[in-house]
Amino acid sequence: MAPLLILLSFMTAMTDTTMQKFIPPSIDQWGISESTRFYSGDQIFNYMDGAGEVYLAYKFKDLLVQRYASPDKSEILVEIFNMGLPRNAFGIYTYMQGRGPRVDIGQDGENKAGLLCFWREKYFVCIKIEEEEKRATAAVMELGKHIANMIGRDGDRPAILRHLPEGIYLENTLRYFYRYEILNNHFFLAGGNILHMNDSTECTLVRLKQDKSYLLLVQYPNIEQTDSAYNSFMTNYMPDAPEIGVIETENKKWTTCTRHKNFIIVVFDAATKSQGIISLDTIKRRLP
Amino acid sequence: MIERTITRRDFLKKTGAAAFVATAGLPLYGQQEEVKKTRVILIRNESVVDANWKIDQKIIDQMMDEAMIKLFDTKTADEAWKRIMKPTDIVGIKNNVWQYLSTPKELENTLKARIMAAGVPEKNISIDDRNILRNPIFEKATALINARPMRAHNWCGVSGCLKNYIMFVPNPPDYHADSCVDLGALWKLPIVKGKTRLNVLVMLTPQFHCLSPHHFDKEYTWLYKGLLVGTDPVALDAVGLKIFEEKRRLYFKEDTPIRPSPKHIAAAEEKHGIGVSNLNKIELIKLGWKEGLLI
Repeated sequence: MAPLLILLSFMTAMTDTTMQKFIPPSIDQWGISESTRFYSGDQIFNYMDGAGEVYLAYKFKDLLVQRYASPDKSEILVEIFNMGLPRNAFGIYTYMQGRGPRVDIGQDGENKAGLLCFWREKYFVCIKIEEEEKRATAAVMELGKHIANMIGRDGDRPAILRHLPEGIYLENTLRYFYRYEILNNHFFLAGGNILHMNDSTECTLVRLKQDKSYLLLVQYPNIEQTDSAYNSFMTNYMPDAPEIGVIETENKKWTTCTRHKNFIIVVFDAATKSQGIISLDTIKRRLP
Repeated sequence: MIERTITRRDFLKKTGAAAFVATAGLPLYGQQEEVKKTRVILIRNESVVDANWKIDQKIIDQMMDEAMIKLFDTKTADEAWKRIMKPTDIVGIKNNVWQYLSTPKELENTLKARIMAAGVPEKNISIDDRNILRNPIFEKATALINARPMRAHNWCGVSGCLKNYIMFVPNPPDYHADSCVDLGALWKLPIVKGKTRLNVLVMLTPQFHCLSPHHFDKEYTWLYKGLLVGTDPVALDAVGLKIFEEKRRLYFKEDTPIRPSPKHIAAAEEKHGIGVSNLNKIELIKLGWKEGLLI
């Protein structure tokens, strides 16, 4: 076997072993019902269909799937996604957040309708039961706490979040991502990639409390890419703007846009022109 | 010259904000003139499925029979089936086995029984999903039946008739680009092209919304108790999508567009030419239970 293959096999085995340590042999009356399964990279499509693309858009590495069953055959399904980096784990968590009430498990967590999701360090974890029932729900929460505890340490949140003032946006609307396909999943902007997003751009999207407008902040790796993206956005989205970066759109709301160094800020659907400009300036003042 | 991309503003210009949702996956510039229409049957029965999702086999049989008679303008269901099946056919029934919302066994039973009644021997019929490329019946199939439930999908907006054929390619991710916009191309593959005699989009307990890539959430399902039946998979998906959008409007009490935009439906007509997504070109025949019809 070539040295590289040996190394890759070794690395995969290492990852598997690490995640397997997070899961207990049983929880309450639920015991492991089948062998642990692992999926790496594109193998995620063997576990889920096209939806696996969402995880790949967040640079997914490995997935552990473990099923537990109780004597009455009710099942608990555990999925642990190794996302490679904390920011990817945070990103996939924000992709899904907003479903329901927060829980104090991991660095952020939500539990609703029999599905507990949380992230910690570079891991994103989902634990699911088919039917919500008191004992099963309690077991899910215990399992979540156990796994979060076994992960053992927190990961850093993406630095771009520091530029969003706390309190001005609806917390559960925060999305963190890299690619325009993910933006379009939350807020359809355009069929093409008019803001030139890619795996090296960092993006956040939030809804502002003030007027429920959408604020998009994109950080590019350099000024050249920022300028190119800004020009593309102006050309494709607001070529008819009467003043640079400000336009009233067809729904009688306002879109405002500006760039600052390697950042682009866009506000969509501001209630008024002045509110759109104020929202831009609020963010711009916090940028380096 | 760079091709101009469609933006959110194009939708707003055409429809206004309130109707933005409704057009998300359907053609942006629909024709208004009189054209030959593709027929879609929407049949519903209040008793077909109960609150525990138990399905009544007899009612499914009746619904399918009634739908077939109306779809093909025949006197009996047998006659309708004999129009689309001949005894020498080798028939693959493409179902969907997603554990939370799979093709109901009762519907599979009905389809198989009616195909056999049309003269096809049981040994020449197979029902399959994940293994179709290794299934000898599907490999040599002369006829296909496409039957699956509709549900919201985190990568292509909605999963319906069009998406159900993605298992006909060895590497499904090849069709995942741009929110699976080119699912229509699947229907031109040699293993599929011209073989599909009937599509059934199951709307008994559809899932109209999802927030996570693959998790089922019963909260976002409802007892619609319907079946969409037709020969055009694009038309069935378009009608199903329209029902979803109305359901979402009622549920969320505000415009909550399906994301990502299920643009593969319009593209299946406009780019791949395999069917009709423009609702103006669809003859929708509604049968049965009328409450909560949503279309």
